[in-house]
Amino acid sequence: MSDGQTLAVLLDEELLTLTRIAGMLRRRNLPMRSIAVGPTGTPGCSRLTLMLQTDAAAADRVARQIQNVVGVRAAAAYPAKDGIARELALVKVRADHQRYGELLDAALLYKATIVDESDDAVILEVSGSEAFVLSFLRAVDRFEVLEVARSGAVALERSVAGSAATLSSETLP
Amino acid sequence: MAETLTGSQIICRVLEEQGVDVLFGYPGGAIMPFYHALPEFPGLRHILVRHEQAAAHAADGYARASGRPGVCVATSGPGATNLVTGLAAAHMDNSPVVAITGQVNRAMIGRDAFQETDVIGVTQPITKHNVLVRDIGQLADTLRQAMAIACAGRPGPVLVDVPKDVQNQKAAYVPAPGGVGAGSTAIAHPSRPSVPQQHALAAAARMIAEAERPLFMVGHGVLLAHATDALRCLAERTGIPVITTLLGISAFPEDHPLHLGLPGMHGEVHVNRAIQHADLIVGVGLRFDDRVTGNTAQFAPRAKIIHLELDPAEIGKNVPTELGLVGDARDLLHQLLVMVRPRECGAWRAEIAGFARTRTEQYKGDLSPQSILTALHEATGGHCTIVSDVGQHQMWVAKLYPYRRVNTHITSGGLGAMGFAVPAAMGVHFARPDQPVWAISGDGGFQMNMQEIATMVQERIPVKMAIFNNGYLGMVRQWQQFFHGRRYSATPIWSPDYVKLAAAYGIEGWRVDAAGQTADVLRAALSAQGPTLVEFMIEQEANVFPMIPPGASLSEPIEGEPAPVAV
Repeated sequence: MSDGQTLAVLLDEELLTLTRIAGMLRRRNLPMRSIAVGPTGTPGCSRLTLMLQTDAAAADRVARQIQNVVGVRAAAAYPAKDGIARELALVKVRADHQRYGELLDAALLYKATIVDESDDAVILEVSGSEAFVLSFLRAVDRFEVLEVARSGAVALERSVAGSAATLSSETLP
Repeated sequence: MAETLTGSQIICRVLEEQGVDVLFGYPGGAIMPFYHALPEFPGLRHILVRHEQAAAHAADGYARASGRPGVCVATSGPGATNLVTGLAAAHMDNSPVVAITGQVNRAMIGRDAFQETDVIGVTQPITKHNVLVRDIGQLADTLRQAMAIACAGRPGPVLVDVPKDVQNQKAAYVPAPGGVGAGSTAIAHPSRPSVPQQHALAAAARMIAEAERPLFMVGHGVLLAHATDALRCLAERTGIPVITTLLGISAFPEDHPLHLGLPGMHGEVHVNRAIQHADLIVGVGLRFDDRVTGNTAQFAPRAKIIHLELDPAEIGKNVPTELGLVGDARDLLHQLLVMVRPRECGAWRAEIAGFARTRTEQYKGDLSPQSILTALHEATGGHCTIVSDVGQHQMWVAKLYPYRRVNTHITSGGLGAMGFAVPAAMGVHFARPDQPVWAISGDGGFQMNMQEIATMVQERIPVKMAIFNNGYLGMVRQWQQFFHGRRYSATPIWSPDYVKLAAAYGIEGWRVDAAGQTADVLRAALSAQGPTLVEFMIEQEANVFPMIPPGASLSEPIEGEPAPVAV
């Protein structure tokens, strides 16, 4: 989906800082579509990516409010269409030996890989844009899907020049 | 030189090191080790309040009057949760308060132990920052950081939660240089883009030069930044009239010809009309609160807005802003001062003078709020700090007392916490021990924290209390009269005999029923040693006028009683 806003935050690797940011979004009443957090190259620093269903002004405002949270090192918002967003999904499907070829075909079409096979289930991994991942989930829906785990999107803004959102944890004090 | 101390002793040493001389608190199980250490530190005067809410308000009052962090202390669980209203008030009004709370032993955390509350979770949205100290090695630095964060930039409350076993643990204490925030390690903070603002300042100066109907609208940020002199110089250089918001009162002398008055819901008609006619509003250190703007879609429809503000998150939050300048109000005003050319706004000021109407007093009886506040100004000569509570009297105190000295009006504006005045005034006393402090409340708000008279008596705190008694929760009653068909649901409120109440606490008390008694009683109250209490029996259904109905535009004031409704 190309609408909405992306909010990127670099923060101390602390659960408390994360809850403060989540609390800020709740308090400012901004609907959130996805949230993904993970470590960065800098020890003690995490990167948080939020996909917000809101307009640019509101996203920019909340970025400035998040900048005020102690433990946040940088925060910036940009329209989602100005960035590249990717998510990963793991899909557990019940093993059905008669339809194995059909499943492989679907996986091939989406460049999904089989990452685990047990007696009764197969786990597929797929990554791409939210639309691509959703499309894959629809494609495998005709098999017996047992469980889906999606990572939420991570994103980077496209350009460097004029990009307020280029947050490099390496250059921060 | 490191020495080995308990966590409790470390807390006290750091408070001393940071220049703290008074704490407001209440002991309890999880904070007992701290109270065990406290007597070893006679430089830390502890004020035993009667309810932890009062400790937080008192620390807030101290902070607002002194500019230094106010400190309050409470135990875990109910002690900590009782601080909540006071912390929220400090948060909304940007007051540097540091709260220290006891917590259950680390091994018990998360097990729903006796008097365990997740106070970090509870206070997260109403503090600027809060920390649970898990490691004694971090205790001193965490406290120093708490003081620094409370005061840095846009001030606010910080809570430090210290488990009982950390208070008892021993560790090396290394003294740090004195002073607020000194010795703390750097705090992770986003680097603000240091955009050179020269062109923005030049643009602001140009807009100020070109505007035909400019206004200054100033808030608490001017007082917090000590920018009152800079504001006055700039106003005088440009001839631009100055509007002070509720929290901006006393940032600009009210006897100055450029002073206009209070805007917004209970603002004067001429002030709101000036806003609606202005072509430029220069907002300094305020957030364009909804009580100030009325309906934002119809707020200042002809005006471009320049916003000078320390917190970039405020710019454009509530009203569309033509030009935002981020920075310390005093710095920005000083820079503007050298860039603007002297001008007069004669025609515009004459136009505003045409708006001004003499407000016809609508009080029945002679003991009007106006007469009381005029007498109070005469009795004190303006040499006092006025701390108001919340409600009708708060608006009268804001509008009818002529503030001429900087930072002499203190009130709970953003949160609007009833019960604020009495305990906050105790805090103000410790910041200004040589000046009278008046706590003015309604009969509703006074009864929310009147237990603190005992604190004043025990700790010899000479706060002068005044109650505007109309037998109603007056502001709610006024809204019921105007917007709820006069259905006075749950607003008539009984009071005890306040003169006898004063006597029960062993202090002097007076009841005033007629304007003729006011001056003598005020003089007696001021000259009496220690705390005193004066009750003013005001008209029961007096209203605050004008009034902008909630959600309406500033152009639609109500200036008189509604037509009686058929019952």
